[in-house]
Amino acid sequence: MTNWPEYIRHRLASARRVADDDVILEWAQHAEAAAAAARADGSDAAAADAQARALVDDWCANAAGVALAKRARRPDAIPAPPAASGRWVGIGQDARYGLRRLARQPGFALVATLLIAIGVGATTTLSSLTYDVLLKPLPFPADRLIRLAEHREGETHSFPNIVTNGTYVSWSKAPTTIEALAAWNTGTSTMTVRGDAHRVRVASATASLFAVVPARPVAGRLFTAGEELPGANHVIVLGKGAAAQVASSSADAVGVTVDLDGTPYRVIGVVDEASTFPAGDTSAWIPLNVPAVVSPDGRSRSVSLTSGVARLKPGATPQQAAAEGSARAQAAPDLGMVGMAVFGTTNKPTLTATRYLDSMTADVRPALLVMVAAVLLLFGVAIANVAGMQLARMTSRRREVAIRSALGASPGRLARQMLIENLMLGAAGGAAGWLLSVALHQLLPRLLPASFPRLDGFRADWHVLLIALLSATGASVIFGVVPAIMARRQNLVAALVEDSQAPAGGGSRTRIGRLRVGILTGQVAVAALLLTGASLFGRSFLALLGADRGYDPHNLATVTLPMPDRLYTGQRRAQTLDRIVDRLTHAPGVAAAAATNVTPLARGDFMMGFPLPAGPGRSEPVAAHAIGRLVSPGYFTAMGMRVVLGRGFGDTDSPTSARTLVVNETFAKRYLSATPVGTSLGVTYDSTDHRPALIVGVIADAHEQGVTDPPQPELYFDYQQTVAGMTISTPVIVARTSGDPSLLLPVIARYAQDAEPGLAVDSSMTMQDRVLASLAQPRLYALLFSTFAGFALLVAATGLFGVLSYSVAQRAREIGVRTALGARPRDVVALVVRQAFGVSVIGTAIGLVAAFALVTLIGTMLYGVAARDVRTFVMVPAVILAIAAIACYGPARRAAAIDPLTALKISQ
Amino acid sequence: MGSHVSKELKKGSADLLILALVEDRPRHGYEIGRLIGERSKGALSYHVASLYPTLYRLEDRGLIEGRWVEKAGQRRRRYYRLTAAGRIRLREERSIWQQFFVALDRVASLG
Repeated sequence: MTNWPEYIRHRLASARRVADDDVILEWAQHAEAAAAAARADGSDAAAADAQARALVDDWCANAAGVALAKRARRPDAIPAPPAASGRWVGIGQDARYGLRRLARQPGFALVATLLIAIGVGATTTLSSLTYDVLLKPLPFPADRLIRLAEHREGETHSFPNIVTNGTYVSWSKAPTTIEALAAWNTGTSTMTVRGDAHRVRVASATASLFAVVPARPVAGRLFTAGEELPGANHVIVLGKGAAAQVASSSADAVGVTVDLDGTPYRVIGVVDEASTFPAGDTSAWIPLNVPAVVSPDGRSRSVSLTSGVARLKPGATPQQAAAEGSARAQAAPDLGMVGMAVFGTTNKPTLTATRYLDSMTADVRPALLVMVAAVLLLFGVAIANVAGMQLARMTSRRREVAIRSALGASPGRLARQMLIENLMLGAAGGAAGWLLSVALHQLLPRLLPASFPRLDGFRADWHVLLIALLSATGASVIFGVVPAIMARRQNLVAALVEDSQAPAGGGSRTRIGRLRVGILTGQVAVAALLLTGASLFGRSFLALLGADRGYDPHNLATVTLPMPDRLYTGQRRAQTLDRIVDRLTHAPGVAAAAATNVTPLARGDFMMGFPLPAGPGRSEPVAAHAIGRLVSPGYFTAMGMRVVLGRGFGDTDSPTSARTLVVNETFAKRYLSATPVGTSLGVTYDSTDHRPALIVGVIADAHEQGVTDPPQPELYFDYQQTVAGMTISTPVIVARTSGDPSLLLPVIARYAQDAEPGLAVDSSMTMQDRVLASLAQPRLYALLFSTFAGFALLVAATGLFGVLSYSVAQRAREIGVRTALGARPRDVVALVVRQAFGVSVIGTAIGLVAAFALVTLIGTMLYGVAARDVRTFVMVPAVILAIAAIACYGPARRAAAIDPLTALKISQ
Repeated sequence: MGSHVSKELKKGSADLLILALVEDRPRHGYEIGRLIGERSKGALSYHVASLYPTLYRLEDRGLIEGRWVEKAGQRRRRYYRLTAAGRIRLREERSIWQQFFVALDRVASLG
């Protein structure tokens, strides 16, 4: 055993150095420990001492220029530090380091942040929308609330979610499965308070509504069943907002009289409109009288359609209520001819009952769920892309990681550093995504169709921020974990000594490379799936837009002219309309003009029911049902409707000539013989005019509402021939133009003013805009899916470009060798293209198989295109392969341009 | 010229290595030497060969300071800890190395 202090002194003396005792003690301790360690490793004592001596010799040799004697000596015994708890040490340092790294690669940081932002923004917004629409509790107790809907077998005209007065009156008396039943309608009225007019949404409701959906007045009282009856005083309950326009406080508003569409109503109470059914934009409630089917004198029958809602008794199910309701509805008096007019059948009704929240959202639920699925896929693509980019960075970080490891960074520390870097990316992306979501929250209600339920109160609140933060954090952990695991597995020494070039064979043969290719395949699959959806929704939308509606919506201006009954008689209306139409017909750029009671796609049809006696082609008398339309003679020309048989109305049809009628094909087929023109019908528009009417023409069926709704039998009357004139108070002027129809809209407004001072226009639109508005929902689906698919394609294309570029760079040596051995540029290009197409073909195949299985889910949302549309399933792979070709153009050219000499030199 | 650069680089890296090792907590000379050997799998043995001269030089420059510490049940050992000046120096050294890593990154991504 060596005496270490003595040996050290001896070595120093021979080097002519003097050292402090401290130095000698320190070296001796070290040498002793080193020798002990060597012995512990299995060296014999002599070898271990020799090893330690060599160490001391090294120190002596390397100590030139370093003072060993008279070194400053600090007081002893500072308490030994506790072993640092490693977990939290250096977090700030890691964060600063991560920031520096991101700042050095701003392109990467920006793209990653954007990807996360788009993913987070879209996911957050859609999940917020889904919650608000499908799940958010209603602002009133709704657990036992059911919505009622009445239907009749064989009905030709179906009204969604209505109950008839027969059902309501019959079931209101002592129901067993429900506690109470209420009927209501909503409409917009003009409320005038001390000369100030406000447009307000008014619910006419039976007093039972406040029992079915418990309501409490904040001032005054609610109305009672007695106040429903005709002849009762007109009373109104206001929401707090409307009350504020009436008086300074809710209490003061009670007792005030307001004017509603010309009728005075006394305010009896004020409620909180936010929590009072139907709690949307409704700001006033007035009593609704639901009349019995048979009038008190027994001479006439009437039908009224209202919305119906009921509260189940505890324990009762909607099915039980529907069964009871159906039985009660069938026991109600027969609606007779009015029933025929409205429903096209005299069959008895059946009732269905749906939980209230479900009934509100039934129309949009499937679409919403499909959108959420699409957005989640989109988010997946975005995260996968960031993970792919991180993997690519990993490969170029291997040396750095190795050196950091050598400098003492533990694998955990390295993983933590990467995780922190990712969390910072996630935080930046999450913040940007939240901002995007806030913007989308503003934008979406404007994009969504007006009929979309439950959008009030849709805003980016703290829940949205929370979802954004959680999804961003979740995403950054996911795309951070893969590279971190990769980093842990890295072989330090191999990375330090390894040639910077990957082995021949390309990027896909390393583990990281394989993972990137796997991610890319998934992205291509998602792109294919979303593209399929976009194609189907897009084609469906175009089919709806281009569908033959039986009229030509292009180059058509439509302007509604409100002519209220208190100012206009039917005759005066007709004269005013005729003056405007006359002047329009002669205006430049106008091909034809006419007036009608209602345009297609607008509500306001009037239904007719009348008996048809036996006659040619009909052995029995039948009850007929038709929609009546009042038009001016030029209507069919102006609308671009086709006359199939006979003629339209003309100048020869006058109030004094024989009454004429035009019917549509459905009417002719259903009720008339094979030669309908010339048939005389006893149907009349004026109850005072009993002359028979002669059918002079048949026009092609038009889809007055959606193109999927079956055409109804229609009867066209020329209002110039009727005694009553234009009896409808909101007639519409239609004008066909040779140029842009929107330019004509102000002209029509001016002509209306000129014809009748004070005649304002309402709902001034081109017909094409009405069509587009009616297609808002399918258009939105097409738009959203196209955006999603475009984004997924872009991400997949850039991903493909990245992987290929990387692979070409990695395979430079291999390609060089191949070129040196005689491969032609086109062989080299084929090498790259093969790799690109391998990924694309597999990804597309997976995507298409998934699409093939999933498209049936959206089948009911499509029009004019089969869910498994052949053209779509051919187009999608074609588009993806074309994009793959574009993505591999650059890398392929670079590969072909590789100079074998240079390539081989690099790797020396 | 080349050998001068590599010597400077070695010296610089030895300084950085030692400063980094005592950054989180004070360590004694043997522990420092052992860690250098362990973490580089012996690849950095030249640093151990100049361990004490380097430690003294760093101490003379005020970057670290050594004190004798007596712990219960152990004999006295000299522990080195990072001074404020050392901390600043370590940060500078790191950024220089980081630039070097980035340069390596660039070279690698060009390759």
